Amino acid sequence: MAYSNPFWKGIYNLLIGLGVTIRYLFSHAITLQYPTERWPMPERSRGQVVLLSDKETGKLNCTACTLCAKACPTAAISMDRYKGEDKKWKLSKFDVDFTICCYCGFCEEACNFDAIKLAPKYEYSSYDKESLFYDMHKLQEVGRDVDYTPKRPKKKAAPTPAVDAEKTEGDVKTDSEQPPTQPESPNDKPTKPEGDK
Amino acid sequence: MIEPAPAQYTEEFEVNMGPQHPSTHGVLRLLLKMDGEIIKEAEPYIGYLHRAIEKICENRTYNQCLPFLDRVEYVTSMSCEEVFCLATERIAGMEIPERAEYLRVIMLEFNRIASHLIFLGTFSLDLGAITPFLYCLREREDIIDLFEMTSGQRLTYNYIRVGGVAADIPPEFVPLARKFVNMFQDKVDDYEAILTENPIFLARTKDVGIFDKDMCINYGVSGPILRATGVDWDLRRDDPYSVYDRFRFEIPTGKVGDTWDRYMVRVREMRQSNEIIRQALDQLPEGGTRAKVKPAAFKPPAGEIYTRIENSRGELGCHIIADGTTKPYRVKLRGGSFTHTQMIPEIAPGVMIADLVAIFASMDVILPEVDR
Repeated sequence: MAYSNPFWKGIYNLLIGLGVTIRYLFSHAITLQYPTERWPMPERSRGQVVLLSDKETGKLNCTACTLCAKACPTAAISMDRYKGEDKKWKLSKFDVDFTICCYCGFCEEACNFDAIKLAPKYEYSSYDKESLFYDMHKLQEVGRDVDYTPKRPKKKAAPTPAVDAEKTEGDVKTDSEQPPTQPESPNDKPTKPEGDK
Repeated sequence: MIEPAPAQYTEEFEVNMGPQHPSTHGVLRLLLKMDGEIIKEAEPYIGYLHRAIEKICENRTYNQCLPFLDRVEYVTSMSCEEVFCLATERIAGMEIPERAEYLRVIMLEFNRIASHLIFLGTFSLDLGAITPFLYCLREREDIIDLFEMTSGQRLTYNYIRVGGVAADIPPEFVPLARKFVNMFQDKVDDYEAILTENPIFLARTKDVGIFDKDMCINYGVSGPILRATGVDWDLRRDDPYSVYDRFRFEIPTGKVGDTWDRYMVRVREMRQSNEIIRQALDQLPEGGTRAKVKPAAFKPPAGEIYTRIENSRGELGCHIIADGTTKPYRVKLRGGSFTHTQMIPEIAPGVMIADLVAIFASMDVILPEVDR
């Protein structure tokens, strides 16, 4: 600059700053028009809690082991269970309170049976607080279209045939006597998760 | 006949700045005793955001504490998780896989950049420059996308765990991170072109709110505010944790300790963090990402420890007393913002109220860390 006058120096630096904004004026926009366009959600994205069900039988994967309820730091999960005729635990109540859920994902990590997942869904806000208490059937309906990769594909055939009986049937024809002995395997599930870790 | 005007007199009056004030960055209430535009006395009132997180942690297992610690300081959640996990691991004498340490460093430095971008945006917004705010949040969005694909969340990550990290990075993380690292220095040049030598910005920041070096040390101030006064003190270098001793980086310091220095220190820190990430991505080893820990039944032995890390706002400390059970007996957090808020009564007298906004914004205090 020919002028060491602070006035001209200020003008010069203002123009440099304006150059940056003018340069961005001609670049393309980075925003999306939300209701009509949406970003794709990453696979690990932790949104709404859903209960996963078997794609073929349509039954819940849950074996009512209560590990997710114990892992929940805010006690958002409340569940009740009973013992069925086949000596398997069955769910009688599974409620998630989305007003206190902190979306930490510990329930998904604790689950060994691909039964609960934080799906990349986020559009369930409402004006009504009551509609944020989700019961078992509602959670199941929300989770119908959620894709998931099984957590332990290797161990699937042997230790947990009960949950994925239909899936293993196609692959492993040899243990056709396994399906009748299904009820035994979930009975040792309280010890299994700890052994696996 | 016109009466002569009464002799000019001034009267001191009290003004409440906050708790609902856009430039208090949260819910801080400042009770100002004013003489016209000049502040005579200032007193901060805190506690509007108190959520008893330290007490909550006493009733949770070590792993369950982490989602709450995310919310202590939600702009740099990763460092709150890191300091708690570091303390727990040191009590338990646990070894962390090397890859997990590098991933932690990458995440911490990305989070430091994201935090400084928030600072830069809101600081310029408080001074009346709206453009940098939009640019800064645009770059922060890239970082947050990286966090989201890795941890699943955009703000409360819950990624760093006791014994490592929650999951390995997805395969597309490293190319995207490299793309960000290569592009980021040019973006910082853009921010600097708009702000650093801008005459209006200089008039608002140069020689405004000069912090004395000795006063800062006496108050226990740390982080960029202390470095802006010329004290060369950074825990990443002076008390190394994780694998920070393997990276080469500079500690930027200021000269005067005015608002402009605090701005400049943070801008240069962003560049240094960028270089640390570049080195960490180059050195990133293969291997496991988590030591063997039973999340529910994890019992560190009885003991007491204080760990500290360099947060984007200063020293973040965590004091844990373990009694040999699955839950901590006591968790105490030491945040930089709390210490910095104490300085307001010291620096405010004699300052114009508009300058107090600039000074407070340059301190980069966030209130959830103050109240906890």
